[in-house]
Amino acid sequence: MNLFTLDELMVIEASRYITNGDVVMVGTGLPMVASLLALKSHAPDMCYVVETGPVAPDVIPTPTSVADARVMHRSVTNGSLIGALGGILHRGLADVGFIGGAQIDQFANVNSTVIGNYSNPKVRLPGSGGANDIASHAKKILIITRHELRRFPLYCDYITSPGYIDGPEGRKNAGIPVPYPDIHVVTNLSVMSINKTSGKLTLSKLMPGISKETVLSNTSFNPDSGIPLQEVAPASEQELKTLRDEVDPKGIYIKRV
Amino acid sequence: MSSKFGNKVMTANEAVKQFVAKDSVVGIGGQTTGRSSMVLAHEIVRQGISNLTLVGCSMSVSMDLIVGAGLANKTECGTGNVEMFGTTFAWRRAIEQGKLVSKDYSHLSMGLRFLAGSLGIPFIPIKSMLGTDLLEQRSEKESKDIVISEDPWNPNTPVVLLKALSPDVSIIHAQLSDETGNVVIEGFTTHDVEMAKASKRVIISCEKIIASDEIRRRSDRTTIPYLYVDAVIEQPWGAYPTSCYRYYEHDSAHFRHYQSCAKDGGNKYEEYLNLYIRGTRDFNEFLSKASNAKDLINLQKSMQELV
Repeated sequence: MNLFTLDELMVIEASRYITNGDVVMVGTGLPMVASLLALKSHAPDMCYVVETGPVAPDVIPTPTSVADARVMHRSVTNGSLIGALGGILHRGLADVGFIGGAQIDQFANVNSTVIGNYSNPKVRLPGSGGANDIASHAKKILIITRHELRRFPLYCDYITSPGYIDGPEGRKNAGIPVPYPDIHVVTNLSVMSINKTSGKLTLSKLMPGISKETVLSNTSFNPDSGIPLQEVAPASEQELKTLRDEVDPKGIYIKRV
Repeated sequence: MSSKFGNKVMTANEAVKQFVAKDSVVGIGGQTTGRSSMVLAHEIVRQGISNLTLVGCSMSVSMDLIVGAGLANKTECGTGNVEMFGTTFAWRRAIEQGKLVSKDYSHLSMGLRFLAGSLGIPFIPIKSMLGTDLLEQRSEKESKDIVISEDPWNPNTPVVLLKALSPDVSIIHAQLSDETGNVVIEGFTTHDVEMAKASKRVIISCEKIIASDEIRRRSDRTTIPYLYVDAVIEQPWGAYPTSCYRYYEHDSAHFRHYQSCAKDGGNKYEEYLNLYIRGTRDFNEFLSKASNAKDLINLQKSMQELV
């Protein structure tokens, strides 16, 4: 078996949720790494869209931000923010939206704005950026984050980007254009996916060597629905090689073994 | 040769003195590590123009400097962020200490507010932010800029109405402009075109001033026509340490230096402002203190490999 870290497998597993041909709205950080891996491996025809404007670039590893020339390389157009977040995403053309976040709650709502009270914050975070737009309009939402107790509260301190809000009809009741999207949360311990009947995150896969108890003790809500759990498929030689040699060759985002 | 549309070329010092007044709403161009008008942000700090409201999408170190110098009391944006280099620390600290009011929006919401301003329409609908605290957690004072209404053609379907936003003045860095303000932005434009067209005044800093004849011969490249522009500043490296597509890469070393000062705050941050901005006559003097010719050439070379 190939030697890999769970951080590497987290990115690899997240990339597997992107299908060749998908239009993918990508933020920065780990979502960018996972999307780039999909682009350089099994989804060469995915349309990578960046919120600053670029469409379908041949991304040069490893961009530092959505304003990096590396995300404009050989794009079909470099476009505008309204062209990307408006003309593609709000228009309903994004198959996948990929975001991160500081807190993710039981309904897959995401907080990237504030820890504590909004008007009297304990820690002020960067804010929505394009994340709220992405979570409101993409047909499928992918969230990637490291699995720590503080990142998975029962309720977010502040809902920046919508999951299922407060239950199965939460998005529909709020008038969000995509009422029942698939949502997958991929972490270094597990994969949790939205159960559309309850509107809540349900544990579906465990990372190799990780027990259900470890996931539960790092999650403030109970994502266990009693369904049989799969193990995340290990990283293939090809996936690892692409991630290490092509996507993040300097180990900027993902540390090596 | 001057143009019949008027020569708008001036120094950063003159443009900021003339067009950025105390209490203004200032539009901030660029995003994160790319194409921010650092030359104009520096000049605002150097002249100490205060009580500003800074508006934009993803606001970067240009915003952070003005906030860190204590010259802004409000921001309206999608995020304060320098991505791989961390958050905008002076902004974050000002919010945490209650010295700055942040009005939070999604990026598309900000972009559409500028678009509405650019079209002269009073408001614009959007279907983002529904169901979230971006709508719910707003104070009484600020709630008036966002209204949840009903789609007139689809009863019982909620829609968010955003008030148009027209900054008093915007500061935008571009690759090229002629002396009348026909501007060429290369690479991503983010919200800059809509914001410029919505603004009452626009100051453009650019890498190079080109002849109006060159604009007219390839006018499909014009991103912002002269009608919207009040001042043109030629400042090579005017976006440094952020990048300028086709010209130079961002400077990671200076970013890290700025971020470490901004994160620490206090004397260390004041020393940065004093050394590089308050203690310099202009942006060229800043550049000579912040970098050297060899490093700058490397940033140019590095960009050439990416385009």
